[in-house]
Amino acid sequence: MIWVETLINGALLGGLYALLGIGLALVFGVMRVVNIAHGEFMVLSAFCAVLLSNLFPQVSPLLMLIPVIALSFAVGWLYQAVIVNRVVTSPDPLSPLLLTFGVSVILRNVTVEVFGADVRSLQVGELSRASLEIAGLNIGIMPLLTLVLAALLFMALQLVLRHTEFGRIVRATADRRDIVRLSGVKPDRVYNYVMGLSLALGAIGGVLLAVRSSFTPFSGAERLLIAFEVVVLGGLGSFWGALLGGIALGMAQLIGLKIDPNAGLLYAHLLFFIMLLIRPSGLVSSRV
Amino acid sequence: MASTIVLVALIAGAPFVLNEGFLRLATECLLLLTMAQMWNLLAGYAGLVSLGHQVFIAFGAYALFLTSGWLEVTPIWVLPVAPLVAGAVAAIIAFPLFRLRDAYFSIAMWVFAEIIGAFTMKSQEVGGTSGMPLATSKLINFDWFEPTMFWLAGGLTLVTIAALYKMMTSSFGLGLMSVRDNDLAAMSVGVDVRHNRFIAFVLSAAGCGLAGALSFMGNLFIAPLAAFDVNWSVYMMFIVIIGGIGTLEGPILGVIIFFGLRELMTGPLGLSGGWYLVGLGIIAVVVMIVAPRGIWPALRDRLGVRLLDVHRAAPRPATATILPGASERVTG
Repeated sequence: MIWVETLINGALLGGLYALLGIGLALVFGVMRVVNIAHGEFMVLSAFCAVLLSNLFPQVSPLLMLIPVIALSFAVGWLYQAVIVNRVVTSPDPLSPLLLTFGVSVILRNVTVEVFGADVRSLQVGELSRASLEIAGLNIGIMPLLTLVLAALLFMALQLVLRHTEFGRIVRATADRRDIVRLSGVKPDRVYNYVMGLSLALGAIGGVLLAVRSSFTPFSGAERLLIAFEVVVLGGLGSFWGALLGGIALGMAQLIGLKIDPNAGLLYAHLLFFIMLLIRPSGLVSSRV
Repeated sequence: MASTIVLVALIAGAPFVLNEGFLRLATECLLLLTMAQMWNLLAGYAGLVSLGHQVFIAFGAYALFLTSGWLEVTPIWVLPVAPLVAGAVAAIIAFPLFRLRDAYFSIAMWVFAEIIGAFTMKSQEVGGTSGMPLATSKLINFDWFEPTMFWLAGGLTLVTIAALYKMMTSSFGLGLMSVRDNDLAAMSVGVDVRHNRFIAFVLSAAGCGLAGALSFMGNLFIAPLAAFDVNWSVYMMFIVIIGGIGTLEGPILGVIIFFGLRELMTGPLGLSGGWYLVGLGIIAVVVMIVAPRGIWPALRDRLGVRLLDVHRAAPRPATATILPGASERVTG
């Protein structure tokens, strides 16, 4: 029974991991850039939420998500417009990788210097401890809500990309950056919105993860690796694959923690590495 | 040739002139320069960016500490173990990792380093999280320790740069650069892309292993958090990016900027190490945007200076110069 509970909790954690990965997958799918600074932006959004809930202790920290999401969107827009767009068309595929890695180092160290290296967490009071009892299984409300939220967000994103004009423009830009210009689309501007959206999604994941477990300015690397593993495990550019990938990683991590309480992310990393050897194309192969 | 003799004489004589603190700094500089050259061999010449190169530094260093302890000999005599172990590890993991390209390779390397780091912290045989001291440190003659470390680092740096220069002017280097510039075109003229990348990867790992072993031998202590620190990759990358990726002179310039800025910011300006990394990161990002090939290539083109240039002129087209007799000689 305890193992069933572990598996279910792993699946719920996986919903959160999928949220970490989806922003990364979106940017990669549209502009072929792996944004290495994604993890640092997530940690920064968690710091913002902590800061805001210290300023307004009477408001629920979960409501802080709204301003943090808005801020993250703006930051993403600017980040793309000022920095990433300058290398996105570089003939050298390594340029965006190196550039975003440089940005991640800057952000990490600025966060350390500004907020200090202490361990932080976001308190949501009763909600984080509340749980449901179904058929003798103990299931946390907060993880359950997170998984539902992740699934809803994935559906919404899928709908937006499939059925709205914005979605069509984004998909067209992802396919042929040079041709969409003929229809009056400015690819750079589309990228700005996509990066904004990506960081907004990352902020949701970042804040919810901060509720679940504590974080430091150095947590960004961990979050990036999880996000990246979710994307690769799920198959590139496949949203539902990302959800599956997240669930697989969440389960691997919690089973690992049951076997060895201080394993951390080791078993999630191992699962990723083994999957890479067996199925380099991911669990689900499809496109945006 | 003359410049080589001058450099060797400088390195041989420096310990008699410099004080101990400065000598340590110079040793650190030289080791980091070697690591940066090795990272550059992979990124600048083979087109593979590794964000997990710290794993080879750690493998080299742990190999040295363990073998020296087992055999109970002075660490200097077992130094060759470090590059062998690091190179062997690289040769093994190259098989799965080479199926991945670009960013996938980079991050998979990082995940690999994380996995090995996590296992190291769990292994009590190598000291777990708290690390272990160099068991044979009592065999070291401490009167000559700092100078010896400096000579080893200096020798390694000179040999590395000379070997890289030799390699890049050979047909292997030409093949490597052709793969970086256009792998399809390189393949079409018969360059074995995978083979070239494999050699570069193993050499790069071996070099980092040796430099890492020397670095931790100087500390007489090793701990997983320091050995598997992702900042090793950050340093190597920033040095190469700022100085000039894909050039031999670039990392030299990069190391000068790296240490110059560090001594300036943490010394007279009194700033913390964090702000130093922020400053270095900003320089790297600005360089990547303004001069994507780095500072050295931009300077070189402006000033027309050539130091360790491995650039080749295209062969002159044989138009109209072929005399009636000459064409027969060519075909015959």
